[in-house]
Amino acid sequence: MTMATSGELTSGVSPPITGAGSPGGLRRIGSARWRKRNLTLDKITFFLVFLVIPVLFYIAFVVSPFVQAAYFSLTDWTGFTPAMNFIGLSNYGKLFTDDIFLQAMGNNILMAIVVPIVTLGLAMFFATLVTVGGSARGNIRGLRNSSFYRVISFFPYVIPAIVIGLIWSQIYDPNSGLLNGILTSLGLEQFTSFPWLGDVRTARWAVMFVIIWGLVGFYMVLFIAAIKGVPAEVFEAARIDGAGRFRTAVSITIPIIRENVQTAFIYIGILALDAFVYMAALEPGGGPDNTTLVMAQQLFTTAFTKGQFGYACAMGVVLAVVTLAYAGLVFAVNRIFGGKSEVGE
Amino acid sequence: MGIYDTPLGRRDFLRGSLAAAALAATGSLAACATSGTGSSTQTSAPPAGQVSDTNPFGVESGSTVDAVIFNGGYGIDYAEFAGQQVQAKQQGVTVKVTPVTKVAQTLQPRFVAGNPPDVVDNSGAGAIGINTIRDQLAELNDVIEAKNYEGTVIKDTLYEGVTEPGTFDGKFIVLNYALTVYAIWYSASLFEQNGWTVPKTYDEMLALGEEAKGKGKYLFGWGKEAATYYQTMAICSAIKEGGDEVRLALENLQPDCWSLPPVQDVFNGLKKIIDAGYMKPGGAGTVFTASQAQWSNDQEFLLQPSGGWIENEMKDQTKSGFKMTGAPEPVVSSNSKMPWEALHSTAGEPYIVPSQGKNVAGGKEFMRAMLSQEAAVNFAKTKLASTIVKGTVPPDGFGSTALQSQIQMLEAAGSNVFSWNFVDLYGMNTDQLVVWNSFLSGDSDVAKLTKGLQDITDEVAKDDSIKKVQVS
Repeated sequence: MTMATSGELTSGVSPPITGAGSPGGLRRIGSARWRKRNLTLDKITFFLVFLVIPVLFYIAFVVSPFVQAAYFSLTDWTGFTPAMNFIGLSNYGKLFTDDIFLQAMGNNILMAIVVPIVTLGLAMFFATLVTVGGSARGNIRGLRNSSFYRVISFFPYVIPAIVIGLIWSQIYDPNSGLLNGILTSLGLEQFTSFPWLGDVRTARWAVMFVIIWGLVGFYMVLFIAAIKGVPAEVFEAARIDGAGRFRTAVSITIPIIRENVQTAFIYIGILALDAFVYMAALEPGGGPDNTTLVMAQQLFTTAFTKGQFGYACAMGVVLAVVTLAYAGLVFAVNRIFGGKSEVGE
Repeated sequence: MGIYDTPLGRRDFLRGSLAAAALAATGSLAACATSGTGSSTQTSAPPAGQVSDTNPFGVESGSTVDAVIFNGGYGIDYAEFAGQQVQAKQQGVTVKVTPVTKVAQTLQPRFVAGNPPDVVDNSGAGAIGINTIRDQLAELNDVIEAKNYEGTVIKDTLYEGVTEPGTFDGKFIVLNYALTVYAIWYSASLFEQNGWTVPKTYDEMLALGEEAKGKGKYLFGWGKEAATYYQTMAICSAIKEGGDEVRLALENLQPDCWSLPPVQDVFNGLKKIIDAGYMKPGGAGTVFTASQAQWSNDQEFLLQPSGGWIENEMKDQTKSGFKMTGAPEPVVSSNSKMPWEALHSTAGEPYIVPSQGKNVAGGKEFMRAMLSQEAAVNFAKTKLASTIVKGTVPPDGFGSTALQSQIQMLEAAGSNVFSWNFVDLYGMNTDQLVVWNSFLSGDSDVAKLTKGLQDITDEVAKDDSIKKVQVS
């Protein structure tokens, strides 16, 4: 029973690595053992080591800070004194009339929509090409040299996010950056000194591009692994039935690996709702007219520069709620489109 | 200057706040137990050691002074120098100097737990907002009233007005150590070659922009994290033009303070320069040090408003023979309330002594050592920047034209030296950057700039949870 609870929590809050497997199988083993109630020393130590201690750690280091942060969000704590006054919900009242925070939230939501769809779309496209998109004759296989593509597309993921941010901030440099260098040498003079990160029209797309660029490779590898787990006969059968590559991808691949897609959606969505590291490197000031400001940045400034930890905690709570809502939405969408009756299980 | 923030993952932040939270919980329980003695305990504890002329704060022999020093542009070796002086003067006292880069994040848990260091250099991008902790700081009047290691009363050795930026509601609680002169910086050699003179009004700047254009250069340039350097210049010009009332209106966050005629005149003057295309485009997407290198190394634009730290900051990226020199910010008209020579100068490297520190007397003694002639000269010589102690820079400025010009500007300004606090005090810079980037890019106009800045100001002004400092 504890296992089921923590299983739900992990797939809802933190990277749900285990979610994709077969939770049903685990539960069966668990309940079978549970039925025999003779507690031997061996069993007690087992529970102690694998259940009680982790749960205690979890409560001490995950649950209690959350609860405390939620409490602090109801106070006017400055962050530098032990003293604080309880002020009820007024931080939240302030939050929902704070134009800058609401704008940051809007930016985050836009990113949580665009980044997952584009990244996962591209990742799925490449994964399909690399695994089942090859020659239509003979065995089901990917394009020629697919392992080479796999390595180069994974490469950006190996670079830490902050380094990616710094590299791209140089590439986007208006005067000495690579991007404008290439564009102007192609004769596109309107890009002379064009500030990609400093123009309201381009800044948010430029930063989203960087995030997508950095993550496509990882999700591609994730999907490749999932597709490799599908028996080749399924694809062969589809091919014999006359399905083309696109039809195979949409009607066979995606439904079979939908649990992986869901996991990927949640994971990347959480990242897009955070995005702090990328923004710290690319747009530390929130970008032109705050078009790239994210909630985490605003939270950080409020806490450490403005010394309003109580208010910052309220922002944190809202960020957590938005993240949970996002995860819930992904689950709901998956369920609506038949997530529980698919071929996979 | 470390405007450029190193990133911190949200998880790190949560982890940090967890530790803080845990401490806060115990801390607040403790506070309950003692039923909120508040902050009135500032000077109640008698000094532990013997008070004498050579030991004015009564540092206890055998005690340790815990000094936490921001490790930024100036490093920490000058503080270690002062620490050694303390150890030499006060028998048996040990000074422990710890470098930090993120002051607020590092020290926040210690403040919450009531266990802060004895002296802190609260500087850099991650500094603690002084407004948040000002109730927890010891008053430093006795430091400047004491005699320095050479036997002179410290107060008499300092430049004019250097204690003002550290005085809040009449309490002197922050000792800003390094003297910072704000100016318009240029290459004296380039100006000489072309027969240009330093512009003293916005109209002269516009004219110089025209000439620069003839040479294929721009007048100004900026970087995205430093767009507010132009705000600093604008406020400075406006205060010179309209006098103290402008400064007070801004400092006290008055309604419509950004619409005062002197402020508007400056904005309009700047707007003309921007509209004429004398501003190097692309600044809103350029890292500020890259932009400054376009000035100091590539000489693509002529003038760079900044503080005196710029010489040190661009040391490796300055063309040889550049002769970096500063000039006061321009005024608007010939009948400005203050002369053109008036100077925006303040002191940086804010040193504080938390009143809850274990060794408050030791923290003050550390400051006394820093203000000694020997330590001040050491700082000036090694950092090519003056401290607030007078007469530590020789006329040749240790070979630095920028330092020479700083001292000359200070002498020319006499008592016409001013500064302001409200931007840093209320942490407005981040929000203001956004407005200024649009304005400098030419994407907005004076009305939008004014409204943007006023909105930021009004928001702070009407927020009751932010303690205000009344400036007069």
